[in-house]
Amino acid sequence: MTDSTSPLDGAPPSEATTRLRGLEQAIHAARGRVDHEILDAADDLVRRGGERLQRSSEHTIVALAGATGSGKSSLFNALADLEIAGVGVRRPTTSWTLACAWGPAGGDEILEWIGVPPRHRVSRMSMLDRSTDDTKLEGLILLDLPDHDSTEVAHHLEMERLVKYADLVVWVLDPQKYADAAIHERYIRPMATHADTTLVVLNQIDRIAYDMRDMALDDVRRLVDEGGLTQTSVLAVSATRGDGVDELKRELARRIRAKESARTRLTSEITTRAGEVAQASGTTKTDGVTDAAAENVTSRLGEAAGVGSVVEAVGSTVRRGIRKRTDWPPTRWVRLRKPDPVMRLASQTEVDATQLVAAAAPSAGIVQRSAVDQAIRSFADDASGDLKTPWSLAIRDVTTARSAAIGDGLDAAVSETPLRVRVPVWASIVNVVQYLLLVAFVAGIVWWWVGSVLETDGIPAPGVIFGVDQGLVLALGALVAGLLLALIGLVASRMAERSKAAEARDLLNESVATVARNEVIAPVKDELERYNACRDGLHAALR
Amino acid sequence: MPSTHAPVELLAALGRLREQVEQTRLDLKTPEVEAHQRSRSRILDQLDDYVLPRLVQLDAPMLAVVGGSTGAGKSTLVNTLVGETVTESGVLRPTTRSPVLIHHPDDAEWFGPDRLLPDLPREGTHGLRTVARTGVPAGLALLDAPDIDSIDDRNRALSRQLLEAADLWLFVTTAARYADSVPWEFLTSAVERDASVAVVLDRTVPEAVEEVRRHLARMMTSRGMSDSPLFTLPESTIDPDGLLPADAVHAIKRWLHELAQHEGARETVVRRTLDGAVRQVVFESTDLGRAIDAQLEAASLLHQEADTTYESAERGLSTSFADGSLMSGHVAARWQDFVGTGAAVSAEDDRRGHQRARTLGVADALTSAITATFIERTRTAAEQTAMAWYGTRFGRAQLDLHPGLDRASAGVEADAETTVRDWFEGVQELVRERGSDRRMTTNYLALGVHGLAVSLAVAVVTRDAPGSERGDIARRLVASVFGDDGAAALVSTVADDLESRIRPVFASERRRYLDLVESPESIALRQASLIEMARRADNARHVDHLDREGAS
Repeated sequence: MTDSTSPLDGAPPSEATTRLRGLEQAIHAARGRVDHEILDAADDLVRRGGERLQRSSEHTIVALAGATGSGKSSLFNALADLEIAGVGVRRPTTSWTLACAWGPAGGDEILEWIGVPPRHRVSRMSMLDRSTDDTKLEGLILLDLPDHDSTEVAHHLEMERLVKYADLVVWVLDPQKYADAAIHERYIRPMATHADTTLVVLNQIDRIAYDMRDMALDDVRRLVDEGGLTQTSVLAVSATRGDGVDELKRELARRIRAKESARTRLTSEITTRAGEVAQASGTTKTDGVTDAAAENVTSRLGEAAGVGSVVEAVGSTVRRGIRKRTDWPPTRWVRLRKPDPVMRLASQTEVDATQLVAAAAPSAGIVQRSAVDQAIRSFADDASGDLKTPWSLAIRDVTTARSAAIGDGLDAAVSETPLRVRVPVWASIVNVVQYLLLVAFVAGIVWWWVGSVLETDGIPAPGVIFGVDQGLVLALGALVAGLLLALIGLVASRMAERSKAAEARDLLNESVATVARNEVIAPVKDELERYNACRDGLHAALR
Repeated sequence: MPSTHAPVELLAALGRLREQVEQTRLDLKTPEVEAHQRSRSRILDQLDDYVLPRLVQLDAPMLAVVGGSTGAGKSTLVNTLVGETVTESGVLRPTTRSPVLIHHPDDAEWFGPDRLLPDLPREGTHGLRTVARTGVPAGLALLDAPDIDSIDDRNRALSRQLLEAADLWLFVTTAARYADSVPWEFLTSAVERDASVAVVLDRTVPEAVEEVRRHLARMMTSRGMSDSPLFTLPESTIDPDGLLPADAVHAIKRWLHELAQHEGARETVVRRTLDGAVRQVVFESTDLGRAIDAQLEAASLLHQEADTTYESAERGLSTSFADGSLMSGHVAARWQDFVGTGAAVSAEDDRRGHQRARTLGVADALTSAITATFIERTRTAAEQTAMAWYGTRFGRAQLDLHPGLDRASAGVEADAETTVRDWFEGVQELVRERGSDRRMTTNYLALGVHGLAVSLAVAVVTRDAPGSERGDIARRLVASVFGDDGAAALVSTVADDLESRIRPVFASERRRYLDLVESPESIALRQASLIEMARRADNARHVDHLDREGAS
């Protein structure tokens, strides 16, 4: 992608970046074809993912999410070893997101990015941390999110916005609400693809009688498994009494040290979004436009455009033009009696296709619209192959939906093809010779008639050659020469017809091919290229 | 003595309304159709499960449904109220899967499967269990419903159904739950339909009771529930039988007993909920009727797209069968062969074979051009309709549901071929029939039936192309046998015949789309009668109300 505004421009090279680039390419190619809601959701991820990749990879954003009263704030306090988050009996308690950042610089930049204002941030210096090595939370950015299930709709929206930014989400459940549909169906289950960047914590474990705890934990495990998150760890803690908090810290510390959560989370989100795009767009392989298909549509369009009849008309015009000049004149006069529109043209030395077309098909254009439609449709259907609806519609949009315009284009291309149908110069010379011979023939007859038959005075009687009268010899000679010349003209006119027809066919085919290429084949190829770009992008994203 | 007879007028009006609601189809995927479908089934459930049975037997005992969130302690409360364990409770969520109805032994006759919630199973995990205990007063039954918010959606649906069949809601919540959105959705809907509700705040640590209670009371007031009683149960130890100490539930118990024993109070509660439910049904039906506008609009749009596309395709086809455009390319060449070489005017026997071949050439070329154009038009029309439908969400849903609509039907090619062949045979038949008395004329003999039929066909497809040389020749050929008037009459007969043969093919192609979507006219008709029935039911409700005011 050379898109100058790509959110991925400054992202360091990594597998996640490559995948995001693939997704971005797919979205770009599928715009206007695939359902825009799906593309927008994916685009949102590309933007957010790109922004995350450009920011500190030393930090891991962990969000505590859960129902009102599940003890998110108490757990936040327990993890931070501070009493910063307000805890109370009135529901809902936390209305805004609190954040605590441990360790290296860069945390503020991230919090700025996700929109937690400075007054809701706390930072913990690592030197003050009294944790042991394996519970050191260096690099952690902990978010205490508002609830998702209270009557305060603003809380749900804030929570849904922020949960997207988290590299790791800790769902905090409690003994009363752990089986609520609100959390499982709306949040945890849709996250099945992010199982390894999700933790489930059953808080307030102290509220359950000691011998019932395992049973309750098993039940939570069952619900989480049923949602398809078998990879997700389930921990039991009591934020107020401190049971299990160290274990949770160790788990978090392990993830922070591995520094993989951000990328893992991003990768699994890419898989989800790219999967959605792939579902809508389809990823079957396309053969593209084969040379055979392109040739086929070109020749069918040529046929529909009446190339054959124009070529025929060109040939016969040339043939008749030559015959008209080389035939023995008296035979021409007989032939010309018959009216023939094409023959009329033959008396001119130059004609163009428009005239020929008019002569060949006076009442309408030469293009057979239904044949054009058919040729285009079968080409489009062939090219679409097994493509899913968005793409086959896109292909139709540039082909069958435009077939009237394509027909007009063909019409124009054929009639504007410069077919200079020129009767060769030698035919005109022969014409002169023919008339001279005719004159010689008539003169010979007259001479013979006047000199020998009438024996008119003053006109020398023709001599005798080989015992035949000279005038008669002249007349017969001229007649034979004229007929011979006519015969040669006939043969030459056939040859000229063939070569001119071939020449015209080449010219017309070239015109038709240009229209076919520009108006039919290229648009389909473009569309298939887009499809392939989308498919390749998805392939890279789903690798 | 309050009137306890069934209000016949209202019952009849609601019965007719129910019929209309049941017939309402919401097939098209308009933006809010799911909500309307839910509303439709809610109206039906409400009528079947509560309103109609309640109206028929106004003196039946009051049904109090104990509902609320998972883990709120509903079962413990019910057990304590009854005084013994009748329903299970525990730490695993959700607990109550099968609802339990507890009534006084004297009231048994009212709660048989034939009278209460007839379509609810009585067995299985979600089946309704009925138990008779003297712990509940006569005239009142308690129903322990499953939770409203657990992951088990069967539970949620069942719970909604039970709550909507109740005369009185006993809504249980806890300190951790009272601000949850799901329970409040239920409560708000109860307020909307004026159902009688009592709220029980359960499982609250003693030090938080006062603050939470005050906050909850304020939430209730701000949401229109200021007359609903609010009971508090502090978190207390449960005895080995799973019961709370008796004095913890004393206030609730006394309130319920008073309601059960005082007929006037019971009647008021039942009537209030029933009136509210009837009003809700009427309002919701009216809303449903209005919501059909979207369906109507969508159906009109889809029908219109199909209609205009096919009409213009048919018109376009008629035009191209008259304006001479078919006489181009191959067809023109064959016709030129036929007329230009004198085949049309040569009667010599030795050239018959030749003439016949040329005649057939024109006939073939012309009929295949007509067929091809015909098929192309049906294909284009199908594609255009599909593309237009695809542009809307509901249209797309229909296309996804019925694959193959993006192209013409599979049989259309064969149909078109048969149609055109039959038509041309008809042309020959007509020539033979009309020409029976001219059979021996020179021109008839020269052209033959086939030559005349071909000429007639050419005259037809060029009839609206004045100045067409070919059409002129064809007309003159036909006129040479039948005379000018006869030729004109033949041309118009044959043209009409072609159109009337094409029409059914287009109609059946178009019907593939139209049949999928109920016609706007029929939707509008049913919408009008739904709204009318809702209006009549509303009238009957008012009349019933006035009757009762007058009686008391």
